[in-house]
Amino acid sequence: MIADRSIVVQDGIRLASPLAIIVATMLFFGGHNQPGGGFAGGLVLGAVVALRSATGLSVPLHPVRMMALGGVIIGGVALGPLVVGDVVLDQYIWETTLPVLGKVKAGTALIFDAGVVLVVLGLIVAMLDALAQGGEHRTTLRLDAEGDREADQ
Amino acid sequence: MSGVLILVVGALTAIGTYLVTSRALSRIVLGFALLGHAAVLALVTAGGRAGDPPLADRLETSADAADPLPQALSLTAIVISFGLTLFLLALAGRQRQLSGDDLVEDDIEDRRIAEHTEAEQ
Amino acid sequence: MLLWVVLGAHLAGIGLIMFAGGTQRRLDARAVFVVAALPALFATGASIRGLSQDTATTSRVAWVEGLDLVLALRLDALSALLGLIVAGIGVLVFVYSAGYFTESSAGLARFAATLSGFSASMIGLVWSDSIWTLFVFWELTSITSFLLVGHKHVDEAVQRSARRALLITASGGLALLAGLLLIADGDTGIALRDLEPTTGTAATVAAALVLIAAATKSAQIPFHVWLPGAMAAPTPVSAYLHSATMVKAGVIAVALFGPIFKDTDVWQPLGIAFGLGSMIWGAIGALRHVDAKLILAWGTISQLGLMIAVLATGSAKATFAGISILVAHAIFKAALFMVVGEIDVRTGTRDVRKLGGLRTSMPVAFWVCVVSGASMAGIPPLLGFPAKEAALEAALGVDGWQRVVLLVGVVGGSVLTVAYTTRFVLTVFGPSDSGEVTDVAPRRLPITAVTTLLAAASIVGFVALDWVGDGVRSAAVLLNPGSEVYSLIRWPGLKTAFVLSMVIIAAGIPLGWFLSRRTDDIPRPLGADGADRLVDEVLSGARRITGRVQHGSLPVYLMTAVVVASAASVPFIAAIDVDALRWTDGAVVPALGVLIVAGAIGTVRIPGRLGAALGLGSVGFGMAGVFVAQGAPDLALTQLLVETVVVVAFVIGLGRLSANFPPVGYVWRTLRMVVATGLGAAVSIGLAGAASKPSGSAPVSDFVDEAAATGGGNNVVNVILTDVRALDTFGEVVVLVAVAVGIVALAQSGRAGAGDDTDLDPEGADPEGTPARSVDEVAS
Repeated sequence: MIADRSIVVQDGIRLASPLAIIVATMLFFGGHNQPGGGFAGGLVLGAVVALRSATGLSVPLHPVRMMALGGVIIGGVALGPLVVGDVVLDQYIWETTLPVLGKVKAGTALIFDAGVVLVVLGLIVAMLDALAQGGEHRTTLRLDAEGDREADQ
Repeated sequence: MSGVLILVVGALTAIGTYLVTSRALSRIVLGFALLGHAAVLALVTAGGRAGDPPLADRLETSADAADPLPQALSLTAIVISFGLTLFLLALAGRQRQLSGDDLVEDDIEDRRIAEHTEAEQ
Repeated sequence: MLLWVVLGAHLAGIGLIMFAGGTQRRLDARAVFVVAALPALFATGASIRGLSQDTATTSRVAWVEGLDLVLALRLDALSALLGLIVAGIGVLVFVYSAGYFTESSAGLARFAATLSGFSASMIGLVWSDSIWTLFVFWELTSITSFLLVGHKHVDEAVQRSARRALLITASGGLALLAGLLLIADGDTGIALRDLEPTTGTAATVAAALVLIAAATKSAQIPFHVWLPGAMAAPTPVSAYLHSATMVKAGVIAVALFGPIFKDTDVWQPLGIAFGLGSMIWGAIGALRHVDAKLILAWGTISQLGLMIAVLATGSAKATFAGISILVAHAIFKAALFMVVGEIDVRTGTRDVRKLGGLRTSMPVAFWVCVVSGASMAGIPPLLGFPAKEAALEAALGVDGWQRVVLLVGVVGGSVLTVAYTTRFVLTVFGPSDSGEVTDVAPRRLPITAVTTLLAAASIVGFVALDWVGDGVRSAAVLLNPGSEVYSLIRWPGLKTAFVLSMVIIAAGIPLGWFLSRRTDDIPRPLGADGADRLVDEVLSGARRITGRVQHGSLPVYLMTAVVVASAASVPFIAAIDVDALRWTDGAVVPALGVLIVAGAIGTVRIPGRLGAALGLGSVGFGMAGVFVAQGAPDLALTQLLVETVVVVAFVIGLGRLSANFPPVGYVWRTLRMVVATGLGAAVSIGLAGAASKPSGSAPVSDFVDEAAATGGGNNVVNVILTDVRALDTFGEVVVLVAVAVGIVALAQSGRAGAGDDTDLDPEGADPEGTPARSVDEVAS
């Protein structure tokens, strides 16, 4: 579409993919102390996936499974405390000292956030799937012409 | 709450409403997105004066921080309007697939009621 | 507790009928009436038990605690007597129904369940002990009546009748609600019997409203038009609802509220006007009609008028007389209706011009009719006679203008009553010139049994008059303690009332006989047409408004809502305090504001869809900048990422739509612009108004300190989201999942519908390589 035929853009996005995973991981783990969190992490991954899709690169993910897994994780974190007699969504925090990382603090909120990442990513992939399918090959030629016109503006 | 932002919220609402009353579904999607922005901005402005980012370890005095509660509410609002925008986009695409354009039709059932009434008179 | 169990038993019976009645094949379809009769029998027993007790049984259940709303039932002499009528006749009606319907009749389970529902509502009404309980059951009887009138719902005329009945009785219900609100004066939990007599403007208005409600329910002029129409219902319904019970609700309301309102200026004149007018006009109507069922319906209007006039008078004697007539009427009118239903199913017609000579072919029905009719006409030795004597005594007993008016009205109405009763019996059973009906279907045992029982009750009631009088007296005492001294008198001697009775009979019978000879040249009924047209106008007016308002254009719906919402901001204009507003926090915000507004205008002005999407993107990035300036890095980060994804989605999704927006008319665009600007201004006004009155400072420090201490994180916003408001965040995730499911479903349906071969299931795609199509295009 916008950059269907640009190898430079395709390669750029291909390179950006692993970088985005690193950024997303940082956002994900840093979320409790700095700006970020599961939603932001999921969006970074989603943005990369969206860009890959827009430039015709492959999107090797299955949206429904991801959302299902995310949903199960979130549901587990939400209802888990009930099993041990606490309230819904009660938070547990563990603190340990690990050899390399030093003092590490982790809570159930982190697991909850992991579920959010999966759901957000699944949503974006599902959306891309829905938008891309159907009219795609039928309108390809016309789109190319339009793409050029849009680029001219 | 700053006056400039109040005016911006008003402008976003007006333009969003104008787009939402259109018949083109893609314009309605744009309008909804703008209305979402307006709502989030209204929440943030209502949260009071600007302040330091509410990060506990970087604040010198916690009283300088911006109110974190409207921010948390706004974050939820952003996420929901994000989901809504995506869904409307998918709807517009489907409409295009079915009817060849993305225009909102009159409600057929309502139209029939109205015609029935007119015919009666 | 017993009282609630009785109502619960009805509900259980209804459930059993609804779930098993329509589908079971093992038993006769009419078995549903047995199931329906059992709770009514239970209620009859409870009422008899209540009659035999000296103290009242009450039961109050909190409904809405905070509002002091209670559901309260009470079983005392009055409610037990009324309950006995409702439930006892209910049992008989259910038995009768088993004979009236055949096994192949349609919708028996629905009918029995609704009728049982009515029975429960009516029992609740007469047992209720708080004004709200009364109102709820009052409305329930209106609704069940609507359903029962419309039982044969495929018929257009039946639909009209049912709607008319509902419209009139439900409007009356609203009047009742308004009246009750006025007298309750905030004390919503007050027991019915604890209401104090009141006067004053509010009480006068309330009295008028309650009287209007009673007049609609009891089909009093000018609200009577629904009752003849309601004769479209199956005869068991007419016998039960439209003679013995539901139409009595208005009479009961007049009886119950009489002690409270009797000192207001409006109660007596209005009540007597309603009552006497209906008594005369109803009796004239009964003389005009040739449909046997309509004759009885108009007779009912007349009889109800008598009761309301007498009860509205409010003296001890009148209260006693009113209750007496109520009891007697329930017995004889139910029997008469049932006989008409029997004639209908056995001969196939109710037209008195075609009927005649049924005395020999339907002897039991004839005698039931003679006895019940005589009771209605007030001829001894039947229960109707002492009741009418009591009414005459009551009319003689009052002073002033009421005495003359009541006496003339009651005597005149009674003459007409005797006349239409005579005409009814003669035209149906007497010799006929037009040839006698001989083709009569065989007798049905349940009908014969029930009608005979009711006719016998009119006789036994007279024989055991002391017993009936005791029951009526202990009920009337609760309304007016002065009733203590009265009793029903079997043989009064040559007193004024008795002489009047004899005059009435002597005048009425010849009149009836005369009119029975000339059924053909009686003019068609008048008067009802005008009121009918009014009801029809209301209905067609409602349709016109619906057609006008519900035109189908979604943008217009939306704009209507927007205009209304904009108007809501008007009160805020006064609240704006320009001095209290701060224009900006820092110089960068106005610049960003310009960027945002420019981007937003771009989404409208740029003709192509992709350009519009990019305008949206610039709005989003400007928003992110504002968030940074406001001290909300989390929002800024999320906004940036969201905007990226949304713009990409627009690029992919909108690219498939035609590139330009469709052209729009100038006028329509201007109108939209005006409306939209209005809402924008309204929102600004509202915000500015709110900002002018800040409500104290936010507990920011508390949040920050708590987040680090107990939330386990330094990012306060994130701690709020995942800990304090974790449940909200959970709901937010659910929304996202729902959106995704919707999107996937839309995509899948498109796939199936289009039979498309481009299956982009990522599972099937080559993990790293690009799809073949893209490679081709790159190569070109």
